[in-house]
Amino acid sequence: MSDWEPKIVSFLCNWCSYGAADLAGVGRMEYPANIRVIRIPCSGRMSPKFILAALREGADGVWVSG
Amino acid sequence: MANNVIGAAMVVGGGIAGMQSALDLADSGYYVYLVEQGPSIGGVMSQLDKTFPTNDCAM
Amino acid sequence: MLTLSEIKSVKGEAGNFQVEVLRHPRYVDEQKCIACNACAEKCPKKIVDHYNMGLAKRKSIYVEYAQAVPLKYRIDPASCIYLTKGKCGACKKLCPTGAVDFDQQPQLQTYDVGALILSPGFKPFDPTDFDSYQYAKLPNVVTSMEFERLLSASGPTMGHITRPSDGKDPKKIAWFQCVGSRDVNKCDNFYCSSVCCMYAVKEAVIAKEHAGDDLDCAVFYMDIRTHGKDFERYYDAARDKHGVRFLRSRVHSITEISDTGDMEVRYVTEDGELKVEIFDMIVLSIGLESSEQQLALAQKLDLKLTDGKFCQTGTFAPVETSRKGIYVCGAFQGPKDIPQAVVDSSAAAAAASEILSPSRNCLTKAKPVIPQTDVRGERPRVGVFVCSCGINIAGVVDVKAVTEYAAGLPYVEYTTNNLFACSQDTQDALTQIIKEKNLNRIVVAACTPKTHEPLFQETLTNAGLNKYLFEMANIRNQDSWVHKNNPELATEKAKDLVRMAVSKISLGDALEEAELNINQTAMIVGGGIAGMSAARSLAAQGYQTHIIEKADQLGGQARNLYQTLAGEDVQAKLDEMIAAVEAEANIQVHLNTQIANVEGFVGNFKSTLSANGKENVLEHGVVLMATGASPHQPTEYAYGKDPRILTALELDRKLIADDPMIKEAQTAVFIQCVGSREPDRPYCSRVCCTHAVDNALHLKKTNPDMNVFVLYRDIRTYGEKEMAYKKAREAGVLFVRFSLDNKPQVTVQDGKVTVTVIDHVLGRPLELETDLLTLATAIIPNKDEKLAQFFKVPMNADGFFVERHAKLGPSEFATDGAFLCGLAHYPKPIDESIAQGKAAAARAVTLLAREKIFTSGNVAQTDPMNCSRCGVCVSICPYSAPSFIAQDARMNPGKAEINPVLCKGCGLCVASCRSGAIHLKGFDNDQIFAQIFSLDEVIGQ
Repeated sequence: MSDWEPKIVSFLCNWCSYGAADLAGVGRMEYPANIRVIRIPCSGRMSPKFILAALREGADGVWVSG
Repeated sequence: MANNVIGAAMVVGGGIAGMQSALDLADSGYYVYLVEQGPSIGGVMSQLDKTFPTNDCAM
Repeated sequence: MLTLSEIKSVKGEAGNFQVEVLRHPRYVDEQKCIACNACAEKCPKKIVDHYNMGLAKRKSIYVEYAQAVPLKYRIDPASCIYLTKGKCGACKKLCPTGAVDFDQQPQLQTYDVGALILSPGFKPFDPTDFDSYQYAKLPNVVTSMEFERLLSASGPTMGHITRPSDGKDPKKIAWFQCVGSRDVNKCDNFYCSSVCCMYAVKEAVIAKEHAGDDLDCAVFYMDIRTHGKDFERYYDAARDKHGVRFLRSRVHSITEISDTGDMEVRYVTEDGELKVEIFDMIVLSIGLESSEQQLALAQKLDLKLTDGKFCQTGTFAPVETSRKGIYVCGAFQGPKDIPQAVVDSSAAAAAASEILSPSRNCLTKAKPVIPQTDVRGERPRVGVFVCSCGINIAGVVDVKAVTEYAAGLPYVEYTTNNLFACSQDTQDALTQIIKEKNLNRIVVAACTPKTHEPLFQETLTNAGLNKYLFEMANIRNQDSWVHKNNPELATEKAKDLVRMAVSKISLGDALEEAELNINQTAMIVGGGIAGMSAARSLAAQGYQTHIIEKADQLGGQARNLYQTLAGEDVQAKLDEMIAAVEAEANIQVHLNTQIANVEGFVGNFKSTLSANGKENVLEHGVVLMATGASPHQPTEYAYGKDPRILTALELDRKLIADDPMIKEAQTAVFIQCVGSREPDRPYCSRVCCTHAVDNALHLKKTNPDMNVFVLYRDIRTYGEKEMAYKKAREAGVLFVRFSLDNKPQVTVQDGKVTVTVIDHVLGRPLELETDLLTLATAIIPNKDEKLAQFFKVPMNADGFFVERHAKLGPSEFATDGAFLCGLAHYPKPIDESIAQGKAAAARAVTLLAREKIFTSGNVAQTDPMNCSRCGVCVSICPYSAPSFIAQDARMNPGKAEINPVLCKGCGLCVASCRSGAIHLKGFDNDQIFAQIFSLDEVIGQ
């Protein structure tokens, strides 16, 4: 279990967090590669169904940011 | 059209005031030259951290 | 956009200027530079970073900051080793696109323009020569601009406040106000810089937020000038909630305590006591001034300047310079804050547009319309373009592997790898391939859609493909750049991102953008100074304008004003303005008229006007709120008990009528802040100090023997209005300060009006028997809730309308098609009202000039079959886009429908709809689920 890495799905608001993730790139900050981003138009777009679906697909964590 | 008015404007200075003027004129149907002495626009406001009274980020 | 450029000369006249512009070389080809930073990483030359106020270093080849526009590198010719010594050239060798070009030369070019707008800004005052504050000598004495950089998360300390001398966290910070402002001893800037009080309060509050409540923040000031909208509340909160200390004292000297970096500050308190305090850091609140270059520019253009060396303008023409066709805005017109600068700049745009309007759309280019291919019913044929971005992506991600992988995905018909997907030749190739391979969906795996989606969408449109049949996979900003030490995982991630994008876009449809005609008529509510100024500007730009005024005449509150600070006769000017409005063919004035009902939305409003019991409907495309304000009727200071006790406007009316009572008065007293800056009305009315000072000065001029007293809390003669305050003191007007908990007492007894106030210098009561007592009453907005509901515009607790954005959208509402100006926004003097009237007009014209608006295709749509009429979407939408279909409609009565024009595509209604009846085009449930489901390949491993 020592090399276990969680799989994280993140839903990022187009207007803030998604832009912030872009800026993290511009700043060449490094973070683990086990995160997959889904761009949404606004965190208001989030539905609990998306979170459940991601977990059902095997994600270990879901991050919604907006 | 019988007139000798040139449908273009020049805005001198690319700070917050100049950018707003340039945008308004461009959106009103005129060709705009935005002249800035530095390498990029934004002016002093881009150097500020937060703005009062809402503490919004100045960027 | 012409960067690194300066104006050499201006010839010609309004409508037809020839401007010579000198363009300095950037030494980097803007077309080629992709801002990858490879050049700056290897540049051996480090120099002082001016963007960070000299607190950090940068390279000789640089961008000012990560978000700079244009995001193109530049070589500083003064420090570049190659350009100064002919050696090095490392950047040229490294640049993946060959953008570095040392051979660029300065170019002199002439441009023909109809109007010029000057917005050269200001120079922060340089306190180096002030030996009393020892800025040049002591490292821990910093300017407010340097402190901004220390506070900034993108600054040299990443937002952690440290002392420049030793990197220690400061425990006690002092702010010194009015450095380079209101000072004719150490510098020549008599004026108030208008913004320093507020930014010092802000810096103190933010510093405490960063460092915790233990940080002691003290502001040393003369008058606190928080006269802007919601500024007084901010000041109150800083003092009462955050515990920032405010000390009314001008510090005369500081001494360094040897080797510690701390500084001893000696100051005299208000009651005359000498105090000594030790601070670890001192921030100088530096003022604003015009730079040498600006003054040279003004000279080149032959423009008149004010005493404070700002560009001269008039009260009734606040953005016009002394030369016709040249306008000014921002801090060069006078020191001002951001919202005021934004108001001015829109006003300057309006003024320019007024003379340019005969040639509107002459020089702008209309895009040819390319017919769209109908892809409905077709099987998806996806093309995947993987970008190397030079080495930015390819240096980490195995782009070949990603391209090969993409070829195996469902529906993918074509894949390729590009060196730079965004280059012009790739766009041409893309267009070609779409046609050749008959592709109907495109995925570009490259940088971020936030910057590049519009570019690729334009290419799709040019290829005849609907622009919504496009998706980006962000394999640079969110992959190669952040996982550079893990190429294998980065490549895996890139494959996943491409797979998710392909599965999403395979379900995408061609989307339509709703088209809406804009009715070319404007309606202005309120016929005061602001409303008339807006109307005249709109009319001059060729738009039919209606002014709706509930009173029986135009003019509003200006009817009560005597003269401006510059001595202009307000009534004469107002009559001129009204005559001009009435003579203008494009303006129709509706007096004695109220608005009874409003239907419709941006571009298509239908307002029912009610006058003398009759109603008629006005159709208009935009609305401007210029509903104004009224004076507060005081209940204190014995108002109403004696005819010698007047409000400020009543005094003006007596001045207009040349009432003998004024001349005969032996003693006149003004009491400020009557109803303003009180707990139940916590805002400053902005104009009263200047008004009182001006009238006090006028009384002194009329009768030099008159004793004139102004009782005040803080004198707020901001900007160059400070000159009037200075003159009033010189003329012998006596200023006596009082505090909120010790207000003056007024008694009327035996035919005498007596004012008692505690003198702030002597600490003793001062009794003034007066023949004229003027109360500076607060300005109260004409709160019309019905009107606000009609146009769905918000009001704040004080009853002023709430603008779209406190800084960047001061003259418009968040609701499309509604604009704002004058006292209804916030108290302001005549020049600012006129400027905002023009600004609201300019903002409205940006909408009117488009004639048609296209809305985004990414909007929500209801499926009436599934709608249960619950109304959640109608109540939850921040933009009022959903509504119920009328009960008597033939189709789907009572169900919800969404107006695509008002919808901003946020998806709030989609997520809230309990029946699943709403679809968000472009981000529909099945598309997001497709992205989630295609995750399982990675996750399942």
